[in-house]
Amino acid sequence: MSALDWASSWRIARRDLLGRFRGLRLLFLCLFLGVATLAAIGSLTSAITQELSQRGQGLLGGDVEIAMTQREAGEGDKAAFRRVGRLSETIRLRAMARGERPDSAAVLTELKGVDSAYPLYGTLALQSGVYRAPLGPDRILIGPALADRLDVKPGDRLVYGTATFTIADIITDEPDRLGEGFTLGPVAIVSLEGLRRTGLIQPGSLYDSKYRLRLAPGADAQAVREDLEKRYASAGWEYKDRDRAAPGASRFIVRMGQFLSLIGLAALVIAGIGVSNGVASYLALKRPGIATFKVLGATSTDIARIYLLQIGCIALLGIACGLIVGALLPPAIVALAGDVLPVSPGFRLHALPLVTSAAYGLLIAFLFTLPPLARARTQPAALLFRGVVDARHGIDRRSLIAMTAAGALLVALALGTARDPLFSAAVLGATAAVMLLLLGIGWGVRQLALRAPRPRRPLLRLALANLHRPGAQTAALIVALGLALTLFVTLAGIQTSLDSEIRNVVPKTAPAQFVLDIPSGEADRFQTIVRAQAPDAQFNIVPALRGTIVAYGNQRVTDLKELPDGAWFLRGERGITYSSTLPEGSELVEGQWWAPDYAGVPLVSFDAEAAKTLGIDVGDTLTVSLLGREITARIASLRKINWETMGFNYIMVFSPGTVSAAPHSLAATITMDPRQDNQVTRALLAAFPGVSVIAVGEVIEQVGAIMTQMSSAIVAAASVAILAGIAVLVGAIAASRQARSYDSVILKTLGATRWQILGGQALEYGLLAMMLALVALALGSGAAWFVIVQIFDFTWSPDWLVVLATLGGGALLTLGIGLAGSIPLLSVRPATALRQL
Amino acid sequence: MHMPIDPATIAIRARNVTLSLGTRDAPVEILKGVDLTLLRGESIAILGASGSGKSSLMAVLCGLERASGGDVHIGGVDFGALDEDALARARRGRIGIVLQSFHLLPTMTALENVAVPLELAGVSDAFARAADELRAVGLGHRIDHYPSQLSGGEQQRVAIARAVAPRPTILFADEPTGNLDATTGVTIMDLLFDRQRAAGATLVIITHDPALADRCGRIIEMRDGQIVSDRAA
Repeated sequence: MSALDWASSWRIARRDLLGRFRGLRLLFLCLFLGVATLAAIGSLTSAITQELSQRGQGLLGGDVEIAMTQREAGEGDKAAFRRVGRLSETIRLRAMARGERPDSAAVLTELKGVDSAYPLYGTLALQSGVYRAPLGPDRILIGPALADRLDVKPGDRLVYGTATFTIADIITDEPDRLGEGFTLGPVAIVSLEGLRRTGLIQPGSLYDSKYRLRLAPGADAQAVREDLEKRYASAGWEYKDRDRAAPGASRFIVRMGQFLSLIGLAALVIAGIGVSNGVASYLALKRPGIATFKVLGATSTDIARIYLLQIGCIALLGIACGLIVGALLPPAIVALAGDVLPVSPGFRLHALPLVTSAAYGLLIAFLFTLPPLARARTQPAALLFRGVVDARHGIDRRSLIAMTAAGALLVALALGTARDPLFSAAVLGATAAVMLLLLGIGWGVRQLALRAPRPRRPLLRLALANLHRPGAQTAALIVALGLALTLFVTLAGIQTSLDSEIRNVVPKTAPAQFVLDIPSGEADRFQTIVRAQAPDAQFNIVPALRGTIVAYGNQRVTDLKELPDGAWFLRGERGITYSSTLPEGSELVEGQWWAPDYAGVPLVSFDAEAAKTLGIDVGDTLTVSLLGREITARIASLRKINWETMGFNYIMVFSPGTVSAAPHSLAATITMDPRQDNQVTRALLAAFPGVSVIAVGEVIEQVGAIMTQMSSAIVAAASVAILAGIAVLVGAIAASRQARSYDSVILKTLGATRWQILGGQALEYGLLAMMLALVALALGSGAAWFVIVQIFDFTWSPDWLVVLATLGGGALLTLGIGLAGSIPLLSVRPATALRQL
Repeated sequence: MHMPIDPATIAIRARNVTLSLGTRDAPVEILKGVDLTLLRGESIAILGASGSGKSSLMAVLCGLERASGGDVHIGGVDFGALDEDALARARRGRIGIVLQSFHLLPTMTALENVAVPLELAGVSDAFARAADELRAVGLGHRIDHYPSQLSGGEQQRVAIARAVAPRPTILFADEPTGNLDATTGVTIMDLLFDRQRAAGATLVIITHDPALADRCGRIIEMRDGQIVSDRAA
């Protein structure tokens, strides 16, 4: 006879399910947590990237942008641009702002000169209202951060270079701020005429000219961009269109979202352990019913269908609730995060992340439901005649195949939706390896407890026995809580080591200041001025130009469909220098350095890592576009750059004569006592009004702040893993309630007090917490060491206080929850219970 | 001198049946070579003290347990060759079982409990037949009650109705009155024999009570996993 059909199975399943959810509550909670986390992360990432994409015109300041460094477009080019659309020109550079008094502080800012067409899209919002062009040549608009730093307000005066400006207003929203990319200082906006008054735009100065175009409605911005790229292929300009207005920000958001999703997936896998435990508890309660069904003629397939339908209902409910919460969380996160996020998207439902999260939830539910279901469906009907404490039957082949298929689908989904499948595979692989290791450790702990000498004290004996008794959840707890705690210890180790590197190691090795835009030929005077304020100062002064790599070997960069992995240097302009001697901080690994008086064909020394990425070697050619001119040089040598020196680390160093004739300025690092920063800056600005001085300490603060924000996001996602681990612990406590009640009743009958019983429980959970702490410390520290030393190549210097506090917190939480779950045992009345046993 | 038995009249044949449980290092011999032939329509009591192996013998004879050795034919089918699922399918419509602890499904009403084996057997009017069976055992007014709302005797009546609803050819009852008071027990046994006669089934009762055994047509005594006597009541 064939199995029950699905309709009959559903009828029986529904009748059997009504009113009895114990065990399935854990399933619901675990799936809800995991799916809500993934849905929230995915929805937020989609919301931000979509907002970035939709606001492309405003973020870019146009439909198409053409940018160039250290030069401006000629009138002929501008006329050509105007034939394509409405044109707006801006020039942006780093410049020092200071008050009128000689002793006033100087602040590094991003100074932007705009024409009367700016902004083509969006609104430049000011404290007093909306900006109305044109801006007078002696007027300036400043960002609130600059106003705070210099303690100035509208009506006060600021000096840039050789010009003085009156502050007209405070900027509250700069529409194209994100499209400008990473900035080192607060923004200040003047007119183009005002910018020229400052005298900062000189041949060789480092500034960016941007030409934004507003096209006719319906025009294809991508096609226009591609046409311009083709027409001016050798100009060495950079192009953007509104669909990729802020590629750097988009890339960061997508990468961060992907990383957080992987953490969320790890949390969902932990939740899967909870699912498995919950289902096992539920099916244990149903054991007599399952045996009865079998007595009445149900096959294992009938059993599987009936209980899969029941479990499936609750799983779907948990997933649905998780999706709802996950979809609603992003607006709350946006409100909480404030300015930390690049944009503030409104509320919208994003189908893809919700569907993906639901798929993950279903696969995890299926994968972790199968083992206990497989055991339950194959349990013999004869269980009605024999008492069985833990019927550990093997998993049948069909179930194993189904589990393998579900696992494969899960991995395929994770890799298929990943922007960087290799990275995702590595993270998933590492998570799986850690889980297997923890499973092995869990088994080992049980064996150890089993083989340990029997303690004389009965409560300690009982505590040890509870770790290995049939049905003990020791292995599951070590995997679930161990994985979560290991994740936290890893994050603590990485975060505190990076913090230490940035705050302690970097200041020791990094110079105190970077100085840019020193006029060419003024190196000696520069040193003299600095030494007058800081006699012990050390210098590294190099020529500074900027150019774009347009070809390597026989490959033109514009012909590439996609940049090779790791070829960040092909994106946009890079710093270029020339030198007759090997620069400090570099080590020659291949080829030869040219003679100090070399005057032959253009040669270049290239970064060895970059060469490996591009697949080029000594003897190949490299072509850069420098101020609109293409220069092809032969690679004479490859260098290993020591980035830790924090000095000028150029990936391209040309032979003298190749680029030295191009207009350029000098850049310098000054190593001195940071307390001399202000006086040196004032002296330099007095002598060279156009220089920009970057205090490394301030940059470190900025980087530190960004890393703190990133850490907060990662810790928030990882917290779900701890919650899932706690859910597993709670489930384990509930599953063992009957056995513990039995023990408690017998102990009380024999004379044990409630404190003694609680003490026994404390011993058991204390042992478990201690083992978890040791495991997490070993694995977490190991993982963090690997990331810091092997991947980042930094010094391993975690804050052990923080790491141990994290561990201690996790261990105490385990102990606390275990004891809280034991309190009901204290109130079981022996007489009542014994009548029921 | 025994007359040869017509195979068509044999309900159950067991030959040299052994059952061994426990671990490989510490096996427990439950049944030690049991030979048994039960005929259609017979009522048999398997009598023995606790630990004699009578419940285990019943488990083997009704296909809930697979013998470690020997062979068991039930209704002409070799149960020894069947796996768990095949045993379950073989029980449908062929074997009805009443257990000492009733083993009703707590989340289903009396009607739903009785309907389950009929649904498993693919019977189209399962609920109508279930209602009829409940009325036949005097519980027509309790069909929508859950087991927790029924007395012990009523639960056992539901269990009897469930066992006979699919019209099995063989009915097993393991200590059917073990959890009931004496008066209720007598009522239940009357009902059991009544339903057995109505179905024309072979009835096998496992009991330690000689008085109950005397109500059957044949008594098989067991001790230490072996049959020590087989006589007419």
